[in-house]
Parts: sequence; C-alpha cells; structure tokens
Amino acid sequence: MSVIKINKLFCLFVTVSTIFTFPSISIAGKYNWNNIVKEASGQTVYFHAWGGAENINTYINWAAETVKKTYNINVKHVKISDTSNVVSRILAEKNAKNNKNGAVDLVWINGENFSSMKRNNLLLKENWVIELPNSKFLDFKNNPSLLNDFGIPTDGMEMPWGVSQLNFYYDSKYINMPPKSALSLKKYILNNRGRFTFPQPPDFVGTSFLKQILIELIADKSILKREYIKSEHEKMLNPLWNWLDAVTPHLWRNGKNYPSNYLSLTELVADREIDIGMAFNIAHASNAISEGKLTNTVKSYIHNGGTLANVHFLSIPYNSSSIASAKVFINFLISPEAQLKKQNKDFWGDPSVLSSKKLMPEWKNKFLNLPRGVATLSNEELDLKLEEPHPSWVKVIEDKWIKKYGSNN
Amino acid sequence: MLLGLIVIIPMFFGFLGFFLPSFGYFPVIGQNNFGLSYFYSSFELPGISKSIILSIFTGFFSTILALFFSQVIILNIFQTKIYKYIRIIISPLLALPHITMAVGLIFLFSPSGLFFRLISPWLTGFDRPPNFFIVPDDYGIFLILGLLLKETPFFLLLSLSALEQLPANQLFNVGKSLQHHSFSTWCLLIFPLIYKKLRLVVFIVIAFAASVVDMSLLLAPSTPSTLAIRIFQIYQTSDLDSIFVASNLALIQLFIILVLILFWIILEKIIKKNFFYIFLIRVLSRKKTRFIDSFFIVAMVLFLLSTIGILCSIFWSIGENWYFPKFLPDTFDFSNITNFLYKNQSLVLMSIYISFLVSSLSIILIIIWVELAEILNIKYFYFEWIIFIPLFIPQISFLVGLQSFIVMLNFQDFLIPLILVELLYVLPYCFIILTPALREIKKEFIKVGLSLGKNRIERLWQIKIPLIFSTLLTSFGIGMIVSLSLYTPVYFIGAGRITTLTVEALNLALSGSRQDLGLATFFQVIIPISILLIIAYLNKKITKWRY
Repeated sequence: MSVIKINKLFCLFVTVSTIFTFPSISIAGKYNWNNIVKEASGQTVYFHAWGGAENINTYINWAAETVKKTYNINVKHVKISDTSNVVSRILAEKNAKNNKNGAVDLVWINGENFSSMKRNNLLLKENWVIELPNSKFLDFKNNPSLLNDFGIPTDGMEMPWGVSQLNFYYDSKYINMPPKSALSLKKYILNNRGRFTFPQPPDFVGTSFLKQILIELIADKSILKREYIKSEHEKMLNPLWNWLDAVTPHLWRNGKNYPSNYLSLTELVADREIDIGMAFNIAHASNAISEGKLTNTVKSYIHNGGTLANVHFLSIPYNSSSIASAKVFINFLISPEAQLKKQNKDFWGDPSVLSSKKLMPEWKNKFLNLPRGVATLSNEELDLKLEEPHPSWVKVIEDKWIKKYGSNN
Repeated sequence: MLLGLIVIIPMFFGFLGFFLPSFGYFPVIGQNNFGLSYFYSSFELPGISKSIILSIFTGFFSTILALFFSQVIILNIFQTKIYKYIRIIISPLLALPHITMAVGLIFLFSPSGLFFRLISPWLTGFDRPPNFFIVPDDYGIFLILGLLLKETPFFLLLSLSALEQLPANQLFNVGKSLQHHSFSTWCLLIFPLIYKKLRLVVFIVIAFAASVVDMSLLLAPSTPSTLAIRIFQIYQTSDLDSIFVASNLALIQLFIILVLILFWIILEKIIKKNFFYIFLIRVLSRKKTRFIDSFFIVAMVLFLLSTIGILCSIFWSIGENWYFPKFLPDTFDFSNITNFLYKNQSLVLMSIYISFLVSSLSIILIIIWVELAEILNIKYFYFEWIIFIPLFIPQISFLVGLQSFIVMLNFQDFLIPLILVELLYVLPYCFIILTPALREIKKEFIKVGLSLGKNRIERLWQIKIPLIFSTLLTSFGIGMIVSLSLYTPVYFIGAGRITTLTVEALNLALSGSRQDLGLATFFQVIIPISILLIIAYLNKKITKWRY
C-alpha cells in the first residue's frame, strides 16, 4: 500500500525552515503584524476563487463579512470557473509590465497552477506564510503535505487552507458492494453499461480521477514523483490508456459526452442516471444529503489502496495591489474560528488544516464535537492517502486524454 | 461620425487584438515573431476540423430553418384573426435570453427530463433514466433546435414589419386569382419582397449562430465542441501561448463566417436565376398544401416546446425532492424564490443597473447623432452602416482581441469598459427602432416650434421627444433586454469582477444544480417580461393622457 511516506527531502526542508525562519519571525513578526493590520484597513481584496459551489460561495461571503467588521477590509469574491485562467491573466500582466496593480490580490490554488505560477515567478515571495500569527496553529513540522504542493515545495508562497481527498459515493439502496479498485471498477463498468462517468478532463476532479486510476495501475509508483520525461515515461501511461480503451465505450452516454464538473454528478446520481459519484470534498455527499439533493441512503467510500489526497492553498500574486489586506484575510481564514466553520458539514465540510495539538483545549473540543455527517467517512477510513504525482504529469494526461477520447467522436 | 467613432475605435482594437497575435505578433507581452506558425498549432489541435464543421453546420441550418419556419408561420396566419395578435404572442419569446431556451430544452429532453418522466415507467419500463445520448447530441441537432426556437420569432417579427410596408393583401389576392395556392403565392410574390428587407438581418443571424458561446456550452456536443467553445476553452488555459492560439482560432472563426455569408450569397444568385424560378413555379404550383400544413404543425410544436421548456424551468425552481421518474415534484417550496433573491440581490440589481445604463446611453447617443446630422446636414447613410458592424463580427473573436488590450491598459475599473462594449451590441437595436421615428416627425410640428421661438434643445425636449415617446420607450426597453441577455461580453470584460444573471445562470447550468438553475431562469424570464409589461403600461398611460 502506498501510504504517504515522509520523504527525506521534505524532512530536510522542514528542519531548515524551522531552524532559520521561526525564531527570527516571532520577535520581529509581532511588530510587523500590527503595521500590516493598520495598512490593510480600508483596502479591497479581489479574491479569485472557484465559484461553482453554492455552499463554498456562502462560506466565503461569511468570511468576507466578518473581516469587514473586524478589520475594515473589503473582500470581493471573484467567482472563476477555472484557476488556470487566473494564471494566464497574471502572466499577461507581467509581460505587459503591470507589476503593481494586478487584477488579482488573492487566489485559491494548488497543484499544476501553483507550479506554473511559481515557475513563472508570479507569486509573492518573501516567505510571508510564517509572518501570519495564526500560522502557529499549523503543524508544519510534522506534516510535510502542508509545505509541499503536489511534491513542489511551497517555499512560503502558499498558505494551506484545507484538505481534500478523492472519494466516491453511491446509493446503498440499490448497490450492495461498490467497486473499490481500478480493476473492479472496470468490471463494474463493463457489466453496467452507461452507469458510470467522470467530469470531463481538464476539469480538476476529472483529471484527478485519471491520475487515481494511473496510480493504481502503474507498476512502479515512485516514477510518478519525478518530472515527466517523454522518452522515458510515455510508455508508463499505457496501463491507463488500456483501461480507458476498454471502459470508455461503456461509460454514460457511451463516453461521447461528459459532465462538466463534479457537482453535476450529484444530480445524475440522485436521478439514478449513474451509479457512482465522486468528489474531492470528503463531506460532499453529506452536504448534498442535508440540502435534499441526495437521499440519506447514500454512502461514501474510497478505494482499497487509498485515494489521492492533497492540500489546497491560498496564495498572493506578486503584483497584488493590496498585499497587506490579503495577508490579514488569509490570517483570518486559518483562524480556529474560520476553520471550525469551514469543517462544519452544514457550511462547507472541508477539513481543517490546523493541528489539534496546537489548539487551545476549548477549540480542540469544539472541533471534536463537530457532527461528522451521515455519509462522511471517518478519519480512520480515510487513512489511506495517495500522494499526488509530480505536476508535470497533469498536462500530459490531460492532453493525451483530449486527443484520444475528447475530440474524435 | 460620433456614433461611428464610438463603434469603430473599440472594433479596431478588438480586431487588431486578435489579428496580430494570430500571426504571433504581440509586442506588449514580449512576442514579435510574425509568422504563420500559429496556423499550424491551430490545425494541429485534436478534433479541430470537427469543431469547424460543427460551427458551419449549426450556423447554416439554424438560420435557413428559422427563416423557413418564420415564413410558414406567417403564411398560415396571414389574413386570419391571429395575425393581429401575433406580435403580442411572440414578444415574450423574443425577450428571453438565448440561454433560457437552452435550459428549457435540457429540462425537457435530457434522459432524466420531463419527456422521459411523462412516458416512464408505464410505457417505457424505465425505472431509471435511460442511457440515451441526447441533449447534447453528437451532431449539434439540439444546438440547431435551440437556435431555431430563438431565431424564428426574430425573423417572424421582422417579416411582419416588412409586410406592413407592402401591399401584401393585394399581392396575395393577385396570386390566388392566378390559380396559385397560398404557398406558391407567398414564395413567388411576397417572400422576395420581404427578403429584400431581411437580407442583412439574415447575415447577422448567420454570424451569431455560427459563433454562439452560451447556447453551445449547454447544447453542443463536448467531444469536441464548436469552434467558439474551443476558443473559449483554449483562452482559459494557463500558458501564454494559448492567447496566440485562441487569437488564431478567432481569426479562423471570422473567416468561417465570411465563407458562410459568401455561400449564402451564391445560393441567392442561384435561386434568382430564371431557370430555377421557372422550376420553382412548376413545383410549387402543384397543389401540395398538405405538405406545407405539416410544416406549420411542426412550427407550432416548436413553439409549444419552447413554452413548455420555460414553464418546466419554473417548476424546477420551486420543486423539491423531484427524482426520476416522478412527473411532478413531491413538494413545492415558494420560499426558494425569495431565498434566491435574497442571496443574489446584488447580482439581479447589477444586471438591471448595467442594462439600464447601457440602454439610456444608447438612446442619448442616438438622439445626439440624429440632431447633429440634421444640424450639420451630414449625409448620414454613408456612416450609419458602421453601427451594425459589431453584429457581423463574431463576439468571441472580438472579445478575445479586446481582452488583450484591456489587460495591457490595466484598467482598474471594469464597469466602464463593460458598458462601452455592451453599447456596441445594444446600440444597433435601439437605432433601428428609434431613428426612423425621429426622422419621420412631421416638419409642421417643428415649424410650429420655430414660430414659438423655441431653440433646438427646447424643440427636441418639448416637441420631438413627447411626439415619439412611445417609440423611445420601446427602443429603451429592447435595449435593456438585449443587454440583459449578453453573455460573452460580460464573461470576458467583466472578468469575474462584474457578473450578471446570464453569466451566473450558465455557471449554475454547468454545475448541475437544477433548482438554482431553475431559479436563475425564472428571473431571466420575469425581468424581461416585466420590462415589456412596464413599457406597455407606460405607453398606454401616456397616450391616454396626451390625446
């Protein structure tokens, strides 16, 4: 089983950052922070974040209202449909030499988009993450996934915001035993024509599903940690393409049409157009049940070998015009108050990034007492987490999928 | 000239903004390798030829079918009692944004939609939705259908206006006395006259249909989609090269539309040929009315479909626990509507606010232009065609181009550019309605004003505007409705900072929450129809008070 192992390199990185950064910041930081809060007052933050899910939008709206009251910061949620659009915008701004007044002040990001922004020097550097007072509640030391985004070191350019893990759901009224591996899923699809599908890549969840299948089928998983090199690795993808070749004609609508994102799977499951849904939010099914979009017989599961897990982050572009207020807003978003509300399934259900060991006992209890939701798996059941492949694999998988299945019907 | 500049300047930059990058030349973002390499990249995109064929196919057939059905409908109601009321019947359909029609079709025909619920499980035996590949289908048939539902009323309305200027009744009777039945009379005597007035509009509809974004996102196949959607998607990817590829595709999109229009002109030429005319007369004069009647029935079914589809969206907005194969929801909850309004009040207000500003601005500009042209004695027909250019250029191409400039200029304000861009699309419609009325005011009234010693502004304010007030209101209302229905300009220029109901409705449609989508659609139906009703009410009140 490939459970996340603490990579030696990560360990080294964590140690280095602990030794060099923590002590120096904690003294100078306090003074600086007051100045930052003062500077932030009255500023407007344009927060570019995926705006497809109503519950997330409501949560962001609540956070915006709260910081308006406490810090006099105006947060404007710019609802985007694809984060890569933000990357290309900032890139264009950089090339047009607009280095101060960028349109984006804060972005919700991870994985390939982060790697692309980092590569093109589009992010605020200066290790601001540890500068924020509430970062003391995060256990960077013992949790390398908070410092690495799809294997790329975050280098203080991203603040962890929440934790995701690919999970599936089905209606237990109609299905006894859902298929819990790539191979049994293949069998299931071949026996139940038209009852399975995934969001159309390059959708984030759709691509992640392909990565999940690849990880399960590939002989040597460690290859995926390295940067993709065509001459060496092209063949390694064959198990995935063989799997898809067999499965695609038997997918929903014969694999000629796909849902546009994971949310549209919910109603397909509710109407029983398809049997299995998937999401990255572990509370998605519970959420949908409490909103009346799914019946309460729906249950979640993950594959026996574990599923892809990742952290999603908040990041500030280098040319943001309100850096101070972006920092203050981020600091609020990782406060125990905001993280508790985020983890509550009635609001969003996205697990907290805070370490329970570092919290005050009263907050610790509040987190412990949160209702988990009828269809949400327990922490133990979610224990088997698979690491994300190196971001360079994403584009390859997406492009090849589009070429093979997304464009030649 | 003034109007011309307002249109030409952005059009020029918009064109340059996709024309130059499509050859790899865009120095502001550090690229200046002029060449054809991006044409290669474009044609190497997987499935691009199918996307192009799909755009051509849907653009052409939706236009020709809409034109055909509009004539079939008029022919069948001409000289009947319904003829008087047809404008009132079709105006709500005209007022709705394209996207509501697409949503209606999805609610009706998807495998879990109303149609399959109606016949399941008692007839089909389906206790769960079938795995049928419809809406969207693989050939763009539903996209054609969606466009057809929206363009037919449009052609119908314009044909009605054209008919009013013709001695239609006499022509019709002449035809009948020559032993032609009504269809051949229509084709041979009346349609050519109507068509003369419709011709430019037909080109506009072709340009629109072959490049539509919002409807294609919902109704076109996705593996691959139409060219417009490909541009849309490629523009969103994260590497800088994508701007060049998207620009190149935008140029190809423009080229496709030019080819389609050219093809249409060739078709016109063929039909005009004598031998073809004689052939037509022979074929049509045989009494095959039943054949044509069946088309009228098809047209009526289409009309019914669009109405039911929209009603269906309203059902979705208030229905709860409505799983397949239930024909009706278990419970109705009207509080959904107030909740949605509460959550999205700024969105609704912003949509109305923008459309109000854009439409007012259009009206003011048109009045200033007409007055100026009169004062300066400008031969206005040399300039006025310019106003219509934006309607011939595919929106997606123009906006991809303009966006490049906007990023470069680093506007901190998004509302003003958006209003200026929307103006390009609203102005022509207001212009068509308002200008003739302004120019046809009888000179006697003006002379009376002059003799009372009124200056130009007083004459405008106290005589002209009151005289044409009802037309002005109509023009204003149409302007607002056009603005409310715009998707692509808001998406690109608003850049997420400014959104409207139409943009939000599409996001909801793609996220599959049928209830929220139903609610957004509900408001997209209610707002334009309210505008129409308010205008009708004001018109009635003002006319009563005046005479």
